[in-house]
Amino acid sequence: MKEQVPIDLIAEKDYKDKVAKRDKESLYYEGKAEELSLKSTKRFAEYHPNPSKSILTGITFAHRDLESVVQSMAGEGPWAVISGLNPSGPLHFGHKQIFEEVLWMQKQGAEVFIPITNDESYVVGKVKSLSESRKIAYDKVIPSIIAMGFSPEKTHIFVDSDYPDLYNLAIDISKHLTLNKIYKVFGFGENKEDENPGTIFYRGGIQLAQILLPQYEEFGGKRPSVVPVGIDQYPYILLARDAALKKGFTPPAATFVRFEEGLDGKGKMSASRPGSAIFLTDNLEDAKRKIKSAYTGGSPSAAFQREHGGVPEICPIYQLRAYHFPNNDGLKEQCATGKILCGECKKQATDEVSVYLAEHQAKLPVAKSKIDKFLLKKPIRSILTK
Amino acid sequence: MSIEALLSTNGLVKEAPTAKSILARADYLAPSPIRLFYGETYDDKGHTIDSLKYYLFVSNLAETLQKAGRLTDSTILIADTAACRNVGPENQNYYMVLGEERANFVKKVNKVYKTGLRVVKMSEYIHSPDFLGKREKIIEQCKGDPTLMEAIKKTVPESKVEIEREKGFLYSFDEIATIINFDVKVGPPREDLYDNVARSIAKRGGKNQIMSLFLTPSFPVGMNWAYFFANDGIEDHGITAYKAGSKRLQKNRVIIEGSNPTYIRELINNSFISLNRSLPNPVLDIGIICEMARNRLEGNERQITLADDFYEGRVSETELKETVGIGVEKYILSKFQK
Repeated sequence: MKEQVPIDLIAEKDYKDKVAKRDKESLYYEGKAEELSLKSTKRFAEYHPNPSKSILTGITFAHRDLESVVQSMAGEGPWAVISGLNPSGPLHFGHKQIFEEVLWMQKQGAEVFIPITNDESYVVGKVKSLSESRKIAYDKVIPSIIAMGFSPEKTHIFVDSDYPDLYNLAIDISKHLTLNKIYKVFGFGENKEDENPGTIFYRGGIQLAQILLPQYEEFGGKRPSVVPVGIDQYPYILLARDAALKKGFTPPAATFVRFEEGLDGKGKMSASRPGSAIFLTDNLEDAKRKIKSAYTGGSPSAAFQREHGGVPEICPIYQLRAYHFPNNDGLKEQCATGKILCGECKKQATDEVSVYLAEHQAKLPVAKSKIDKFLLKKPIRSILTK
Repeated sequence: MSIEALLSTNGLVKEAPTAKSILARADYLAPSPIRLFYGETYDDKGHTIDSLKYYLFVSNLAETLQKAGRLTDSTILIADTAACRNVGPENQNYYMVLGEERANFVKKVNKVYKTGLRVVKMSEYIHSPDFLGKREKIIEQCKGDPTLMEAIKKTVPESKVEIEREKGFLYSFDEIATIINFDVKVGPPREDLYDNVARSIAKRGGKNQIMSLFLTPSFPVGMNWAYFFANDGIEDHGITAYKAGSKRLQKNRVIIEGSNPTYIRELINNSFISLNRSLPNPVLDIGIICEMARNRLEGNERQITLADDFYEGRVSETELKETVGIGVEKYILSKFQK
């Protein structure tokens, strides 16, 4: 008969593994920022009179060239924020985190541009057809964004395939790049010949057109802009900055956010692993179920956890609560000192998420009826007529 | 006020030797006086309130030492020859006149605030055989010591090393020969490179080493948070205290005999201010200078606690801005009306 391992030994090993995971992740972000010569957002948090929660808590942990935007942010001129997403599924809490940051930027005076990249969803194989991603965009994504409280006067949403003028911009910009550069920046390996041309054109043209669009004449011309992104999106920023200089635009700045941990503990919250994310359109029962079965930073032994505490930094439930809901400032300490265990924390998370989802979903019908007010329809003729 | 209290004035003194070490130096030198020094160049944009901070501080330091029974000698150096070095031959005479004006300004400060400062212009001694001999000795010593030569090189911004090398690093040697025989040198934090070389040379020669006393950096007034955020490192070095046109920000400086009080009050009201002690606080800085000026005018010796009062919540941002707006006119600008 196999000898049973005592629960304390299991708990100790589990704790050590989680601490190691925390340390590795912390080093990952620090290391990446250093490797890419990005600056920490701590200085920004010190100087800005009213920094966002994301910046204060270090979720937005680094930036590139925010210096170029801050005078406009302080009220000295127009500026823009560009933040899009891939509509392969509804918005989840990971998206919510970024769009709340964008909303904060709008409150600091930014004009917001939100490209919904259904063409990308299709060319990279996340959906079966352009129409599928287009439908998700209008049914699930855009209403949720609007329901978060964006101003229709200062928000411009466009679904790529419904805004074909974007493709003219992509052509305009693509002339300033080479395939070699795109391969190099995106780290395409030996299999680059197997990539479909749509993906290459998306990365080397369309995505850059989305980022630089606010600086075209129709939208007010050259001006500072910022793109909040995950660290994996840095290649786009590099290419866009390069293209901006060649076009005589202001190179866009970027802020970099930490990924929100997926509920399954297997990486970032992602629509491609539905169990990893709570979608803003999830029904309450689904949300409860996902939280109940979520991976945590806690211990298999309650006694061990009471004594040693949990590891909140890698816990998706902690992140969910700390990133998205107020009044959780003391949660990290409570968890790390064993004052709250996972069962109680999950129960509180369920309550918070349920209230939020109910309120958010109640806003969706009205938000849906307002879509037209947010859609960008302005034709872009300057590059065709001058 | 005691020397300890003066040296521990928050928001004014950034780094200082201990009171004990200054007193010990004075005792060692007695019956000769301890020599206090502050030196500056200038530009053509006027006399800054930030220069006044240094004049008043040197005078206060001298008085606290005198009250502790020590003899002092306070020198304010107007480095006119140095100021002329980078202005082109066509502006030499003009800049020499400006030097004379700066020296006269310090004399006016002496009258208004009874500061008792001795004003010396660099041109008065730089060609003297004594000074040239001293400089020559220093040059020889440095040339024979690669560590010292390396330190001399570091006194020059990297972009100007080659130009200065061609000139034999004369600017740096003039500076070092000027300060080497003083005991306490008051200045902005960025001057420690010269001070370090002077100390190394003095140490090798078995002489007394100059003690550096750094006051807090100077900042432009009326700038918003974004300006400070975008200027990495400004917290440590600020802008040049004695040049009103430093970074072309003359419109954001309090210029004595130049600024309109109403305009300055507007700048103060629009100025970035933070409760974080490690961030620049131009309003507080001006406030402390006003308090120093007020103490001198009223013959008051109380320690200035404005920084603590503000950071510990006894004075609000609005109160600070209002008090400073009034103080800068009452205790400084109005005293220099032409």
